Amino acid sequence: MVVSKMNKDAQMRAAINQKLIETGERERLKELLRAKLIECGWKDQLKAHCKEVIKEKGLEHVTVDDLVAEITPKGRALVPDSVKKELLQRIRTFLAQHASL
Amino acid sequence: MGLGGRGGGNLQRYLGLIPTPPPPCVQPCCHPLCYEQSECRLHKSLQMKMEEMSLSGLDNSKLEAIAQEIYADLVEDSCLGFCFEVHRAVKCGYFFLDDTDPESMKDFEIVDQPGLDIFGQVFNQWKSKECVCPNCSRSIAASRFAPHLEKCLGMGRNSSRIANRRIASSNNMNKSESDQEDNDDINDNDWSYGSEKKAKKRKSDKLWYLPFQNPNSPRRSKSLKHKNGELSNSDPFKYNNSTGISYETLGPEELRSLLTTLIFLFQQCGVISEHTKKMCTRSLRCPQHTDEQRRAVRIYFLGSSAVLPEVESSLDNDSFDMTDSQALISRLQWDGSSDLSPSDSGSSKTSENQGWGLGTNSSESRKTKKKKSHLSLVGTASGLGSNKKKKPKPPAPPTPSIYDDIN
Repeated sequence: MVVSKMNKDAQMRAAINQKLIETGERERLKELLRAKLIECGWKDQLKAHCKEVIKEKGLEHVTVDDLVAEITPKGRALVPDSVKKELLQRIRTFLAQHASL
Repeated sequence: MGLGGRGGGNLQRYLGLIPTPPPPCVQPCCHPLCYEQSECRLHKSLQMKMEEMSLSGLDNSKLEAIAQEIYADLVEDSCLGFCFEVHRAVKCGYFFLDDTDPESMKDFEIVDQPGLDIFGQVFNQWKSKECVCPNCSRSIAASRFAPHLEKCLGMGRNSSRIANRRIASSNNMNKSESDQEDNDDINDNDWSYGSEKKAKKRKSDKLWYLPFQNPNSPRRSKSLKHKNGELSNSDPFKYNNSTGISYETLGPEELRSLLTTLIFLFQQCGVISEHTKKMCTRSLRCPQHTDEQRRAVRIYFLGSSAVLPEVESSLDNDSFDMTDSQALISRLQWDGSSDLSPSDSGSSKTSENQGWGLGTNSSESRKTKKKKSHLSLVGTASGLGSNKKKKPKPPAPPTPSIYDDIN
């Protein structure tokens, strides 16, 4: 029973993701997020952080994995609330339109 | 778009809005690669999923969780993209290119104080700004620069003439002011045969106070009209050239108009337009007409002997204006005695400018000669009464008739 429920959840998520991609909504959301983040200075903050990290490690020893590990948590934390709210709102609207009819 | 559209259709089908899938698809299909068939299978499996989903769709907390997940996903995507970007920049060596040392960063820090702009300058400085005119190289208040430039560069109706004159005068600062002002006077009028009356009126109004004004400013020089001063220079020449006419026989009006014409010809192009029948009021070097045309006009009015040399006398005419013969006489006398140096420099300059090629020396010698004849002439002129005392000149015998024709 539990297994089948998890299965259902996973299926549902897959279906929603599929829909997001199919309708192009995912691309639109990504683009929106990108623009907002640049606009609010998120990118600059993160870049400054990157510089510190890279200087610490030395230019030669930087790998993508290191960067992702260092940067992603910080990146998540730095997203302004307003941007987060706006994005969530759009996602909810999308879900309401497509999933819960 | 096609994909999206199809997706929408599928969803409706999932949701039961389109109750039955098309019959052929329901049947087992014998062509495994058939697009429709594969889609049909997908539909079937998704249909089941959607049923489940719509059941769970009512659960708000679950939806919220999904939304959060999607959001996290997107942010992660952005971070990942950013990391790739940075990594590439580091490996390609341009990541630190925009770095500068802290000192210079400090120098260019953005200033945030009331009353200052971001560079730390006081922003109402422009009030006192001065611009240097590229043409006459004087510095002019920024707010006056545009009007000045218009005049100086010759965009306006009269301006090029005014500007040329000004340049000439700035080269010879100490030269007599009168040349300049006289020129202004004549030039500013839109000269035509019929305009003498107007001109005369203006001149007489302003005659006496003009010499006190500063000739350098374009504005002032425009308003200034008259100058007294060098009566003596110009006229004498004309005289000599004109051999046959007796001036006494001409009426005062005729004399005046003749004289005006002559003066005009010494300073301005004067070519008569075919269309308007008016004389060109531009400078002697006006590009619209050729030297040939100018010469022709001068021959027409002055006779062939008069043509070239006359140019030299840039002068003036002020004498017309005077209604008071006494004043005129006293002026003339003054001219005769003291006037040489200023007038010389003025005339020599003019001749050079105009390209007529008169030597300074010759002009001077002529002038001195002239003066005498000039004075004697004045005597006769005063005999005419209060009509302007002109220095009469126009050599061309047919002058009166020419005027008639033209008018």
